[in-house]
Amino acid sequence: MNHLLELEGVSKRFGGVQAVDSVDFWADPGEIVGVIGPNGAGKTTLFNIVTGFYAPDAGKIHFDGHNLVGLKPNQITRVGVSRTFQAVRLFGAMTVLENAMVGQHTRTKAGVYGALLNTPRTVREEQKVHASAIDSLAFFGDRLTPRINSLASELAYADRRRLEIARAMATEPQLLLLDEPAAGMNPSEKEGLIELIGRLRDVKGYAIVLIEHDMPVIKGVSDRVVALDYGKKIADGTYDEVAANQQVIEAYLGKAGSEEQE
Amino acid sequence: MNPTAALKPGLIGGTVVIYLAAIGMVERFQDRNVITGVVGLGVVLILLTIAIAAYTAARKGRTPMPTGALVGLVAGGMVALITLGFEGLINAGVDVRGMFVSITPGLLETLEFGLNPALGAIVMALAGGTTGLVAGGLVGLKDEHLRSSIVFAVSMTLLISLGEPILRVTLGNLGIPTNWLYELGGLTIAGTIITLLAGFGLRWWLMGRKEKRQEIAAHMPEDTRRTWGRASLIAAILALIALPWVVGPFVSDVLGTVGLYVLLGLGLNIVVGYAGLLDLGYVAFFAVGAYAAAIFTSPASFLVTEEGETFAAAGFTNIWFAFPFVVIIAVVIGAMIGAPVLRLRGDYLAIVTLGFGEIIRTLVLSDWLAPFLGGAQGLTRIPAAPPESFDLRNPQHIYYVILAFCFVAAYISYRLADSRVGRAWAAMREDEDVAEAMGISVVRYKLLAFAMGAGVGSLGGVFFAAKIGSIFPNSFGLQVSINVLAVIILGGIGSIPGVIVGAAALVGLPELLREFGEFRLLIYGAILIAIMIFRPEGLLPNKRRQRELHEGAGSAPVELPEGASPA
Repeated sequence: MNHLLELEGVSKRFGGVQAVDSVDFWADPGEIVGVIGPNGAGKTTLFNIVTGFYAPDAGKIHFDGHNLVGLKPNQITRVGVSRTFQAVRLFGAMTVLENAMVGQHTRTKAGVYGALLNTPRTVREEQKVHASAIDSLAFFGDRLTPRINSLASELAYADRRRLEIARAMATEPQLLLLDEPAAGMNPSEKEGLIELIGRLRDVKGYAIVLIEHDMPVIKGVSDRVVALDYGKKIADGTYDEVAANQQVIEAYLGKAGSEEQE
Repeated sequence: MNPTAALKPGLIGGTVVIYLAAIGMVERFQDRNVITGVVGLGVVLILLTIAIAAYTAARKGRTPMPTGALVGLVAGGMVALITLGFEGLINAGVDVRGMFVSITPGLLETLEFGLNPALGAIVMALAGGTTGLVAGGLVGLKDEHLRSSIVFAVSMTLLISLGEPILRVTLGNLGIPTNWLYELGGLTIAGTIITLLAGFGLRWWLMGRKEKRQEIAAHMPEDTRRTWGRASLIAAILALIALPWVVGPFVSDVLGTVGLYVLLGLGLNIVVGYAGLLDLGYVAFFAVGAYAAAIFTSPASFLVTEEGETFAAAGFTNIWFAFPFVVIIAVVIGAMIGAPVLRLRGDYLAIVTLGFGEIIRTLVLSDWLAPFLGGAQGLTRIPAAPPESFDLRNPQHIYYVILAFCFVAAYISYRLADSRVGRAWAAMREDEDVAEAMGISVVRYKLLAFAMGAGVGSLGGVFFAAKIGSIFPNSFGLQVSINVLAVIILGGIGSIPGVIVGAAALVGLPELLREFGEFRLLIYGAILIAIMIFRPEGLLPNKRRQRELHEGAGSAPVELPEGASPA
């Protein structure tokens, strides 16, 4: 068990729908794994299970020596898994800087007494939080840094996506889960995203798992691609292998479609 | 110019005047002099309605000067005509007194300005027309200095006149003679002229200096600015310290009540404003504070021993020893109440906390707990606290205690807001799931919010008990929870100055409106509605919330919601 993240036989059922069906999944340090599949294939559910929002019905999840099953989302963030959301979910009434500062929560300690007495330790910690948030924002060049005092809700759409990633980075994760980071981006922004994800791995050393519908993005960044359909893993390999996989083609185009293609 | 622009406000204005007259406000208010011997508050009420109608009419059409005045004239004239029509109907013998008991000869006398019907009608038409003309004309007035100064002068004069009960006492205490200004509850004619001129001059002068002041402020070195900031803070504190002796015992008592609501408001603001947990049972913490304080100190408490020795033996004789323990008890109870509702959100949380508030009230009222909490009889004879020269029953004394604790609570709120804890609360308020995904333990921070809110709120309870000396279950009804919530919403959720202004407006104002008797709550309600329509973010809002509510203009539209098309 040398993978950073390892899922074994993870299942989750919602009423009559088997959303995730005994999926084995892993990610290694410094690896970028793309997760693809049609709508409703169980990709986001998988993320929600890993991050503790759903408890799996069956299966094991290990991360960096920790058993994640039964941990709360905040505890999972603490051990080093961070995520973004499919529909951007920023803290709209907080500033860009504060959004990033919230990310530092698990890496800091100050409580009520520290806040009230403003102890030297709290002051130092606040400086550290501030610096770290600035640092995360600076990763996006001049996109976020000039706007640190804007409200998150005032940002343009692509910048909101960036801020969501910056906020996740501020939690100092080892593994970053990105849920459709390219959604709603134009082609040049997607180019930038591909470059950014690469840099996240190269500079920050994160392992990254991303759900994405946009195949050029998947192709551009993924070391490995995993395809899901109806909750089952149907393919796992390099982009080219998965793209050539008969089951994957059928999942996307339907059986008739795949025959037509041949 | 669109003539209908003037008709609608005119119609509405006319209806408002008839309404005010029919419910008896006009006649009743007429007893109060605004300018003694010239105009009473009843007439001012009508003129004010006309002015607002004319202003709205001219405003809507964005009409420049001559037309604006004309629109105002039409609108004002309409209000006056409608009023006259109403008067005519009553004079013609249409009997509506069966339903509107307030339509009396006295009312007619007011509407006729104490003259005969024909002359009264002419005066009414003239007054309505002139007021409309002036108000409408003001809108179109290009010279902003002039317009602003006129509006300011009139508003200031009106306020000074209405504030007579307080101002006369205050000025008297300061040793300033008031005979020249006030007479029989209203302004003297000389006083009116002086006030108008002073108001106009003051505003004119201030506006003339505005740019210069801004320039000075902009170029002020950092340390000079800080010195000024400190100086004004010290001046404000000195003013607050001198206040009860200047305004007299009655207003001091009102200030004490306002202060209690500031404490409660600051506490609830932590729960609702910071952590976003809608708590409709906040009165529970107020009750816990008051009852715990009473139990520790009152000789009526079960903690009194057989020999008549009070719990006092342990050093609890008075509120000063009791209050830290009370706060601890409240914090524990706050966390206890918080625990079962941790899983609930939004509306559900509100309903459950509403239930907790009622449970506490029922408990303190119950026969079951009567041996401990006094049941319906409440707990009385809460002893005075030492030193003897400082009597907590004296509104001018307890004011200082409440003021001090308001400062403490404000400091706590202020420090917390901009800390790791405050950010965690804010994140939780914005999106609980995401906050959790960012590593925030929502369980811990919800409990913390309830506990902190309870601790601050219980202070309100302690000093309520100390101030009144006896507590009864009826003081801890749902109304308190609603009032405190209204205080923070009105002031601006999440804003500390907002809580203070909200408490002053919501608690102070009704006390000061007492002379208007049964119309007090009507005015109060109307003001509340108006504020919430025109300033939904509250009177002194938290800057962010204001930006959020008025977002539309600045923010970029969301281009695509979610799940973009597959490639």
